[in-house]
Amino acid sequence: MSYDTVIELRNLLRYYQMGNENVKALDGVNLNIGRGEYVSIVGPSGSGKTTLFNLIGGLDKPTDGNVFIDGVDISQLDAYELAWLRCRKIGYIFQSFNLIQVLTAVENVALPTVFAGTPTNEGTRKAEKLLEMVGLEDRIHHRPGELSAGQQQRVAIARALANDPAIILADEPTGNLDLNTGMEIIDLLHGLNKSQGLTLVAATHDLKMIKASDRIVWMRDGQVEKIEKS
Amino acid sequence: MIHFSLMDAYRLGIGYIRRRFQRTAINVTSIALANSFLTSLALSDRFYQTYSAIEGGTLGIDAYQYWLVAVALIVSVVGITNAMLISVYERTREIGTMKCIGALDQHIVMLFLVEAVIQGATGGLIGYFLGVLAALASVGFTTGFDIIFKVGSLDLAMFLVGTTMMSIILSIVASLYPAWRASKLPPVEALRYEL
Repeated sequence: MSYDTVIELRNLLRYYQMGNENVKALDGVNLNIGRGEYVSIVGPSGSGKTTLFNLIGGLDKPTDGNVFIDGVDISQLDAYELAWLRCRKIGYIFQSFNLIQVLTAVENVALPTVFAGTPTNEGTRKAEKLLEMVGLEDRIHHRPGELSAGQQQRVAIARALANDPAIILADEPTGNLDLNTGMEIIDLLHGLNKSQGLTLVAATHDLKMIKASDRIVWMRDGQVEKIEKS
Repeated sequence: MIHFSLMDAYRLGIGYIRRRFQRTAINVTSIALANSFLTSLALSDRFYQTYSAIEGGTLGIDAYQYWLVAVALIVSVVGITNAMLISVYERTREIGTMKCIGALDQHIVMLFLVEAVIQGATGGLIGYFLGVLAALASVGFTTGFDIIFKVGSLDLAMFLVGTTMMSIILSIVASLYPAWRASKLPPVEALRYEL
C-alpha cells in the first residue's frame, strides 16, 4: 500500500550539552510516515525515541535538519503557530495519561477544544461523543482519581481526538497498564487507525502493539537501525 | 485561531480552588486578615471623625498605625506569592500537558490570575466584614455602637468597594511572578517533572 507523506524527517540531529559531554540524542534520522499509517518506534531507552517524539510534536527544536508536517517545516513556526499545530494537527497520548486531576472526564476531553476556541456547548457535546466511542459513556462525570488505569487511558485517547487531529503520537501508551487492559487499548487505537485513517506513531516495548503496526522502526543510539514491514 | 475565554479560565480556576481547598483557604485568610486590619483602622478613623463632628473633640487614629497596615499588606502579598509558587511546582506536569494539547503561554497566565482574582475577592469581602466588626469593637465603647448608623451607608459601601478592589489588586500583584514562571515552563521538561 502507498501513502502520501504526512510526516517527513530529514537528516534530523539533536545534540544536548550535558556537562562537558555532547550527547547525540538523534544523529541523522531520515524517515517518512504516510497518512493513515501505523508506525511503531522501538528501541532501548536512551535510543532517542522520546526526543524524536518531542521533535515531531514541535515541543523541541532540532539542532539541525527538518521536520515537515503536511509539507510545513515546523522549525520555521513561531510559538503561536506551534501551539496551533499541537492543538489541531497532533493528538498526544502519554504513558502516565497526564489527565488534569481537578477536571471530570468530559471536561478533560473537552479541554483541547477550549484551547481551540470551540464554543463550550459544542466542545462538551463532542467530548461526550468521543467518550461514548471509547466506551465510557457512563463515566463522563467521574474524575481521573475515580477511574481505573485503563479507563484513564481511554479518556486520554478521547482527549487526543478532540480536535480531529491528523496524527496521534503515543509514547508507551500501554506501559502503565496490565496485559488485558493494554490489549483493549491497542485494539482501540488500531481500530481508530483503520476506521478513521488516523496516522498513528507509537513508541513502545509492547510486542502486541508492534505486531499490530504497519511498519516497525528500530532505533539505536539516535539512529534508525532498521525498518521492518509487518 | 486559538482562543480561550475568561469563562473557561473561571471554570478551571474554581476546580483548582475546590481541589486544593486548604492552600486556598490559607491565602484567603491571609488576605482577609490584612484587609480586616486595613478596614478596621480606616473605619475607626471615620467613626472618630463622625463622632467628633457631632459631639466636638479631636479623636482620631495615630499615623504610625497606618504603617502597621502597610506591613500587614506586604506580609500578605509575600505569603500569597509563596503559596502560588508552590502551586506552580505542584502543577508542573499539568502545565506541560496543557501546553502539549495547545495552550499558549497567555492561557496559563490567565488561569493563575483568575484564581488570584477569586481569592482576592473572597478574602477582601470576608476581611471587610471582620474589619467593620473590629472597628466597632475598638471604638464603640467611646462613641457608642450606633456610630455605624451615623456614618452613612454610602460611606460604608465606598469602603467595601475600595478595600475589596485593593485586596484583588494585591492578590493579582502577588500572583504575577508565579503565573509568569508557570507560563515559561518548557513543555518537554515540565512533562518529565516528578514531584
